[in-house]
Amino acid sequence: MSNLDHGKFTRVTTLFHSLLGLDVFLLFFTGYAIMFNDELWWMLTLMGGASGVTAIHRITGIGLVALVVFWITLQIISPTGRSNFSKILPSKGDVDAFIQDIQFVLGRADERHPSARQFAGYKADEVPLLSYIGKGVVFIFSIELTLLAISGLLIWSKTGLAAMFQTKAAAMAFVTFHGLLGVIMLMGVMFHIFEHGMHPAFYPVETKAFIPRSMVPEHHGDDDEEPDTTGIERLSLSPSWRTVSTVFGAMTVIGIVSVLIGSIFDEGYPVPRELAIGGGPSSILLTIGINLGMVVLGVGLVLSMYGNVLRIRWEQQLEAEREPSTAADGGEPQTDGGQPKSDDNEN
Amino acid sequence: MTDRDDLPEVNGYSRVSVLISTVVGLAVAGLALFWAQGFRLGYESLYRVSPSVEGGGIGSDWVFGNTIPALDFLIALIHAADVILGAFILVMVFIHWAAFQRLADQMREPDEDVSEAVAADGGSRARSDGRGGDGA
Repeated sequence: MSNLDHGKFTRVTTLFHSLLGLDVFLLFFTGYAIMFNDELWWMLTLMGGASGVTAIHRITGIGLVALVVFWITLQIISPTGRSNFSKILPSKGDVDAFIQDIQFVLGRADERHPSARQFAGYKADEVPLLSYIGKGVVFIFSIELTLLAISGLLIWSKTGLAAMFQTKAAAMAFVTFHGLLGVIMLMGVMFHIFEHGMHPAFYPVETKAFIPRSMVPEHHGDDDEEPDTTGIERLSLSPSWRTVSTVFGAMTVIGIVSVLIGSIFDEGYPVPRELAIGGGPSSILLTIGINLGMVVLGVGLVLSMYGNVLRIRWEQQLEAEREPSTAADGGEPQTDGGQPKSDDNEN
Repeated sequence: MTDRDDLPEVNGYSRVSVLISTVVGLAVAGLALFWAQGFRLGYESLYRVSPSVEGGGIGSDWVFGNTIPALDFLIALIHAADVILGAFILVMVFIHWAAFQRLADQMREPDEDVSEAVAADGGSRARSDGRGGDGA
């Protein structure tokens, strides 16, 4: 019996995740149109040049502050938030999961560690709320978003910053700090998109973050029977998976490497007075690579929207099935509340 | 949205918590906007560096103007963090990529179930599930 490890999020979390994703993507597109302005000149131009881009960046930045503060407050004041906190603390199981993941890749383990499973042959309760990667994402993204919001606000009020640190160079150091910190997050988000988009069982997007747990019917058929396997052998691979995952994986790697190299070069105050194509130490390869990285982000944006479409579709199907007059037609396996969900692989 | 009595217990967030958090979030964002704008006196252009400036380029102002060694160190630190974390993230990508390949190998090939002796239950081929083919 297979069981999908989705529906771990609450409705508030899924909505928050989508809003945060949208906001952060806009911040990335504008922020890196500024930082990598010689490689992403077209993006800078499309968004109205330096002034247009910085305006959008600030509006979305304020949105980020609202979202971050909302989330921190919610985690503190609600019992759910406080109880979830203990579940995201790193544990020995996470180290074991990392080691077993490597062994799995090398063929020395048959399965991924339960703490690393996104597709698991266990009841939802038996699989941890978050994998070790998920915990890392929560911690790293939380710290980075907070630091980015603070440094961003300091940069915004740069006369205040200059007064605080006495020199213009100090103010510029904050800009550099802000941009380089963002690069770490940019690379992490590319990985995040790859990880949740290219899992063969969930391709093209894992719905965990879009379909809230309250909407996921759980299997009650044979509770006594413990699953022997993950059940993945029952799933059919999507015909396009091998090609798409290979192309997208390559794009992810190229994108990460390129923004990493680009960030090493672009260390100064990144906004020139005049738009200068090739004004920095750019090269054709770096330009292509950084643009590929932006395509990876674009795919992430599309997948995020697609995840929301799937939720709406799921809601409609659930509603239809709950109409007493509607006979269960067995048409869509996802809505088979009482059926094993071994076939939910597509989503 | 209709009855969900048969669905599992879910520890959601209460409406009050969400409402309070929303108000706090918007209030802080509003204050941040007020604070940041309060300092904005039109000096934006003061800090622009022209790439064609003599003897310089993007970032030259920072390199030559900085007199605080601690800031140099911080920038070097964040550069190092970029490289180290970037390498780590790449390792994670490769681990997952390879793990996904292994998982895919365990799955049925796209056209495999067509020739199965046990027919699928009428679902589309891609989501054909083997519900009727447990022995497979």
